[in-house]
Amino acid sequence: MKILVCVKQVYDSPETLVFDEAAGRVTFGPHTVFRMNRYDEYALEEALRIRERLGDAVVDALSVGPPRVGKTIRRALELGANHGIHVQTRDETCLSAFDRAHLIAAASRGRGYDLVLAGIMAEDDMESQVGPLLAAVLGYGCATGVIFEELSADGREIAVEREVEGGSRECLSLALPCVLAIQSGINTPRYPALSHVLRARSAELECIEASSLAVPPPTQSLVCILPPAQGRQGEIIEGTAAEKADTLIHILREHSLLPR
Amino acid sequence: MSGRFFIIALHEGGRFREETWELVSFARRCGAADPVMMVLSDEGAIEQLACELAHRTGLDVVGLAGSHLRGYSAEAYIRTLVPFFRDASGKIRIAAAHTSRGIDFAPQLSAGIDACCITAVEDAGEGTFIRSLHHGRFRAEVRADRAKVVVTVLPGAFAPDDIAPGNPGKVGIVPAGDISLSTLSRGTRAPVHANMGLTRAEVIVSAGRGLGSGENIRLVTMLSSLFPKSALGATRAVCDQGWLDYSHQIGSTGNTVSPRLYLACGISGAVQHLAGMKNSGMIVAVNTDPDAAIFRVAHYGIVEDLTTFIPLLVDRCLKRE
Repeated sequence: MKILVCVKQVYDSPETLVFDEAAGRVTFGPHTVFRMNRYDEYALEEALRIRERLGDAVVDALSVGPPRVGKTIRRALELGANHGIHVQTRDETCLSAFDRAHLIAAASRGRGYDLVLAGIMAEDDMESQVGPLLAAVLGYGCATGVIFEELSADGREIAVEREVEGGSRECLSLALPCVLAIQSGINTPRYPALSHVLRARSAELECIEASSLAVPPPTQSLVCILPPAQGRQGEIIEGTAAEKADTLIHILREHSLLPR
Repeated sequence: MSGRFFIIALHEGGRFREETWELVSFARRCGAADPVMMVLSDEGAIEQLACELAHRTGLDVVGLAGSHLRGYSAEAYIRTLVPFFRDASGKIRIAAAHTSRGIDFAPQLSAGIDACCITAVEDAGEGTFIRSLHHGRFRAEVRADRAKVVVTVLPGAFAPDDIAPGNPGKVGIVPAGDISLSTLSRGTRAPVHANMGLTRAEVIVSAGRGLGSGENIRLVTMLSSLFPKSALGATRAVCDQGWLDYSHQIGSTGNTVSPRLYLACGISGAVQHLAGMKNSGMIVAVNTDPDAAIFRVAHYGIVEDLTTFIPLLVDRCLKRE
């Protein structure tokens, strides 16, 4: 069985982003550090567990992005992926989910993946689109929000549970090949084993130039980045820490929320 | 903006999801006064569902019927909707709610009809759509570069609009034909982690990733002990980390709560979490990051480090008594 896991590299903290309001653009700042999207960590872990159950499966990890993304692919190798694929873009130009899905599809076509796993969303864009779009482009079945999976004994179908509103679960069976967009909490991601860390250090990543892949024209354009909508005009309590605590206690008592 | 506007009404167990009525407001915000309501179901149920939509909204309804639509699967929806929209010409906008089902089928539908797909939309501009990104710190204004657009609309972003003073709309039922699916629906399982204590609590002290470590859960426990009838809540991330079990989770895939007081500790304010608590009576947020999205829903905000502020707060509260 061949399993592909799509991993995205995201910034660690949105506090390091730089907003140019006049230009309507957000860029990474000098202190921005990058790591694997947390939802993809669950997808990778699930792929590794499927491999352990089957014994003879191969797990490839793929990421799309500029050279810095190589580090996240190497992280996937440290965690236990067999092979890393880097679809390399030239610059920091923001790619839509549509672009990413088509790049991943173009890079993975013909490789005979039985199962493609991705996180349910990326923490930065929160679009929840790459998994299902990739399925549509490849002509695979798809389930999103997957919180449980079990391959059939013959390896031709997979039973999944999708987590829906309020924590209910929709149960379904999909024929392979298919794409699963994995919900967080499906497992507990592991720490890397030393042997894998050593192997990952010297492993060769397969590099594919994004510009060499045929991708349809974009479906959307970014007009601009805006500041957040003005929400409730709440009050920020000022003062020293002790004054803030006293003010809050006063407010809560006034509203009979805290016993006097 | 011209063109046709369709709303896909999602339903479970014979009932429409509440977001359906919000989508009518959204359509009007987009300049479509009379969107067409669409509902998909099996032959036995379609008539009644379609008529309910026509009565509640006063809008025309298209019901797509087939035995493959008895249970929900993305494949059943896509294989029904793609043939319906694929060959349609002109400008078409299709809206569904940004729920677990909406995001399950919307991207695949868009791919099948050469449409643009924009998810978690919370507002519309002049022919554009607006959605949050980067943990709610910014919004992106996006323009579709295809004649067809599929959007999922964030629950709660628009007020419901389902009071139709006039006559019910016209209902048309369209058989979707015989479709055999490779996906097999096997029903729904009840929530594993429903927590009655949370829904009954008057005060919820809730923990986010900003707490920093599982060890610091004792801080929120300490804080909640100040309040009678209180319970501990948590974001999904806190439960994923194993700091608290999933019965404490508040948000779209967890519990939905509306206590008199919601005390958010180290919670950034992701839309999925806000969906579960934004109707609380009073929201107080404590976070080190002054730009956290939670401060835009909070009635009172405090920018402080929880590890020092909570012990101080508890201390000063007890001393005064």
